[in-house]
Amino acid sequence: MSDRIRALLTRRRATLLTVAVLLCLPPFYLDAFWLRIGLFSMAAAIGAIGLALLSGTAGQLSLGHAFFLAVGAYGYTWLAGDPGPGLPTALAVPLAVLMAGLAGGLFSPVAGRVKGIYLGIATLALVFLGHHVLLTAESVTGGFNGRSVPPLSLGGFTFDADRELTVLGVPFGAEERLWFLGLALFALTWFTARGLLRSRPGRALAALRDSETAAAVMGVDVARHRSAAFVVSSMYAGLAGVLLALAFRRVVPDYFGLVLSVDYLAMIVIGGLGSVAGATAGAVFVTALPLLMTRYADQLPLVAAPGSAEGAVGPTEAARYLYGAAIVLVLLYAPDGLHGLARRARDRLRRRRTPTTVPDTAVPSPPPPAAAARPKEHTP
Amino acid sequence: MTDLLDSLLGGLALGAVYALVALGFVVIFKASGVLNFAHGSLLLFGGYLVAVLHDDLGFAGALALAVLVTAALAGALDRFLLQRGGHDAHSAHVQTIVTIGIDIVLLTELARRIGGDLLTLGDPWGDAVTELGPVTVADSRLAAIAVSAVVIAGVFALFRFTPWGLSLRAAAEDTEAAALMGVHLGRVRAGAWCLAGALAALAAVFLAAFPAPGLERTTGQIALNAFPAAILGGLASPTGALAGSLVIGLTEALVVGYQSELHMLGDGFGDVAPYAVMLLVLLVRPNGLFGAKGAARV
Amino acid sequence: MTTRHTRRPRVRAAGAVLAGTLALLLAATGCSSKASGDGKGDAADGVRTGPGVDDDTIRLGALTDLTGPYATLGKSIVQAQQMWADETNADGGICDREVELVVKDHGYDVQKAVTAYADIAPDVVALPQVIGSPVVAALLDDIQRDKMLTFPQAWAASLLGKDAVQVLGTTYDVDMIAAVDFLTRTKGLKKGDTIGHVYFEGDYGANALEGSTWAAERAGMKVAGQKIQATDTDLSAQVSALRKQGVKAVLISAGPAQTASLVGVAASRGLKVPVVSSAPGFAPQLMETPAAPALAAMLSVVSAAPAVSADLPGVEKMVASYKKKYPDSPVDSGVLSGYNAAKLIGEDLAKACEAGGLTREDVVKAHRSQSNADTGLGTPQNFSDVNRPASVETYVLKPDAKAVGGVVNAEDAHTAPGVEDYLSSR
Repeated sequence: MSDRIRALLTRRRATLLTVAVLLCLPPFYLDAFWLRIGLFSMAAAIGAIGLALLSGTAGQLSLGHAFFLAVGAYGYTWLAGDPGPGLPTALAVPLAVLMAGLAGGLFSPVAGRVKGIYLGIATLALVFLGHHVLLTAESVTGGFNGRSVPPLSLGGFTFDADRELTVLGVPFGAEERLWFLGLALFALTWFTARGLLRSRPGRALAALRDSETAAAVMGVDVARHRSAAFVVSSMYAGLAGVLLALAFRRVVPDYFGLVLSVDYLAMIVIGGLGSVAGATAGAVFVTALPLLMTRYADQLPLVAAPGSAEGAVGPTEAARYLYGAAIVLVLLYAPDGLHGLARRARDRLRRRRTPTTVPDTAVPSPPPPAAAARPKEHTP
Repeated sequence: MTDLLDSLLGGLALGAVYALVALGFVVIFKASGVLNFAHGSLLLFGGYLVAVLHDDLGFAGALALAVLVTAALAGALDRFLLQRGGHDAHSAHVQTIVTIGIDIVLLTELARRIGGDLLTLGDPWGDAVTELGPVTVADSRLAAIAVSAVVIAGVFALFRFTPWGLSLRAAAEDTEAAALMGVHLGRVRAGAWCLAGALAALAAVFLAAFPAPGLERTTGQIALNAFPAAILGGLASPTGALAGSLVIGLTEALVVGYQSELHMLGDGFGDVAPYAVMLLVLLVRPNGLFGAKGAARV
Repeated sequence: MTTRHTRRPRVRAAGAVLAGTLALLLAATGCSSKASGDGKGDAADGVRTGPGVDDDTIRLGALTDLTGPYATLGKSIVQAQQMWADETNADGGICDREVELVVKDHGYDVQKAVTAYADIAPDVVALPQVIGSPVVAALLDDIQRDKMLTFPQAWAASLLGKDAVQVLGTTYDVDMIAAVDFLTRTKGLKKGDTIGHVYFEGDYGANALEGSTWAAERAGMKVAGQKIQATDTDLSAQVSALRKQGVKAVLISAGPAQTASLVGVAASRGLKVPVVSSAPGFAPQLMETPAAPALAAMLSVVSAAPAVSADLPGVEKMVASYKKKYPDSPVDSGVLSGYNAAKLIGEDLAKACEAGGLTREDVVKAHRSQSNADTGLGTPQNFSDVNRPASVETYVLKPDAKAVGGVVNAEDAHTAPGVEDYLSSR
């Protein structure tokens, strides 16, 4: 039996390595357009994983993610910039993440008490109030036009296009360099989030989600755990914000609006609530799909060139129809999201290959967060 | 004093229109647990129908048809797209996101049709105003207050005195028990969606009428302002929606009216004031003003 | 037992995949198209070329909004610039090259716009159209780094002072100084009066307010500001507040819907004062709403460009051909400003070509050497000082439902007194 586990582990490690190598390839082939989409997707994935922790484990819903992204993005820009303390950029990154966590902590009087969809809407308030502050506190945020983001510099290596760098004959500009930073941050998020899910507090939160009363009886401090989940989720959002800021190279308040928050909610639901892999898939779906569709929609039949005729369907419109329809279709046919879809496909494949079902012990798929088996709750 | 009256009346009118929208949110949430992100585009859809039909049918005919068609559309969306997911809490989350997809498709199509135009709805009030003592109010606003009052009273009566209302309340209280008692959940839900659609179409008329210049592609966004109104009162409480709407309408009008005195909050605070109020209320009452505290049974 | 047999091949297979991928990486980067040069060089005719220019085409980019809040404006500009490109190509093109427009619609979404920029930037030499202040703001650093000559469809003074970014015509603050001058000159406003200013949150409103505040102070008047958002279309509360403050005139720097609401509400509430709008606050569609009579009676518009119904020969010719080419589209100020921008960039390109180079640096240099660029579509512009608006002359327009574009010229182009003082004090 132990042999078997070792075999699985080795295989897993090999798969992991292969995936890692494959993820390192794009900067050598794809141009800045694709790399930017990739960077946006990675940042979104980091934020979505944070939100997945909150909703999937603590059963909480947040529509305030855009606010915490903004705290991370602006926090980094302010800490490392001028006006601002002008700290070394490598120090500004963790501090910005802590700032986002602190903002989440300040919100804990609400986050600890308000539940489910109510918390979602309460956090919505943060987005609007935050946007107001971003526009008004001009000395810190630069007001409407935002601020330039200082490039990150790690031990003499700077993530921008300034000093020329060529790797294997390919010129490495800002996007190429940031790609690897994005990968590293994403890997960090992926492994810490999975660790957290399996840790003692993670299990306490899952108990909380399944039954608040039962968890309380078992000695889980409900409000404290809820607030803690909120803080952790905010910190991931802050990290995502930092990466976004670096990818955008300029932060503007209008980006961090309601639409962004709703996008994050869509990511975790489309991915499948409560799973790290699902959140990643959902993030790529919501971030990359509209961008790619807009880019390639003019290849579709019946789509007119932008601005050509009165009342014709332009590429952007076509892309929006397709994107909206994709959301509806995915969730109609896979209510448990992309993660559930993948799991079912894998199960079917495996069943076909080996008639005896082998439980995948190494990947304890997080319990279906679906409240299908959940005791009915009292709606206020 | 005149200024205060002016602001109060303006806020009341605004609150009356918000109430129509907020009530739609609440009815849908109560029946299906779904937060309807497509409400804004349903509203725009209703307004657009009135705009294109009023030349042929007259205002009243166009409005009646628009209300019916929007109600039918909302009901159909629920019956054929959302209800396939089921009735439990998890599917409610999923269906909430499905409404985002619906919103994207519907809004894109309507925006494409409306383009950059400002559509007039042919309403009978025009830009007429009435002098009420020292203050002046637009007739369309008085109509909004009157119509909202009647319609909201009607909706309350529906809830209280009809079998459908009873089923809805039973289903909201305990889905499974209601189903066991023979409540046809699907039909109750679809009915709620129809009602919300009708309310949205009605609200569109007042949102596009006089003090506003007409219906434009962004009119539906105003539904967002009704969000805090619905939450403030408690998402599942119609009474709360009404109270919340009035609070939000009055706050907005007063903050704008006294902007010069509230300078330290930053200009343009009127637009975010509803959210600030909402946060304060939720701090004191986490389930909203009229939300019952979910009692835990051990 | 079975596991022992399956284990080794599995590991080996995985290892093989890994090794294969690594080999692929190392081998294939050699033939990656990214490893080639940067596309700079000399064309067959000896002209220096860079991104966006080859032997027979010059590519210009447009980051526009055809599906968002500024869809009408975006469409007018795209069509007008397409018309310019067709006309230019029919005349033999520029520098013996065909002009091609690459249009990307971002729907007023910053992330889409930034991605679209990364998409088209390697293939275009300049951007004669970028719509959306947040979009322009997000792209500022990239545009500067790429030395990509850009004409934003935004007129905030904060966009001045950047070599590659050119605000055409006047900035919002200069417009509002002219508006205050117009009010004191023709509407009898005097020392001690209060002027209301309703303005959009953001760059547009802030810059306009700067101008009005400065001019009002100079004339001994006070400004009562009311900040609003793009989603506010019922300005009853704002009108009440302004009436309370006893304003003698109102300035508005917002969108067309807000202008219509403000004027309509003010008229119905008996606040019958002159209203002056910034150029983006008016659209011909307003003259089809119930507010039209009130607009005709109370509103004036300050603009760097003449009305499209003006009797300038260049404008008349352009309007005629536009109507012929796009009979279903309204002719608005966007058509004029888009066509003007395209024409100016055409002149820059021709000048750069004469100087022997069409790289981005050459185009920016050629552009900055123009100190009296006159396209016959309004006032001449001076691009040689990056810190100054290209023009300080403004027209005053009056709404007129019967005219093309819904407005007619009320006052010809002139420089408002005090503008020079203002610019030097800043």
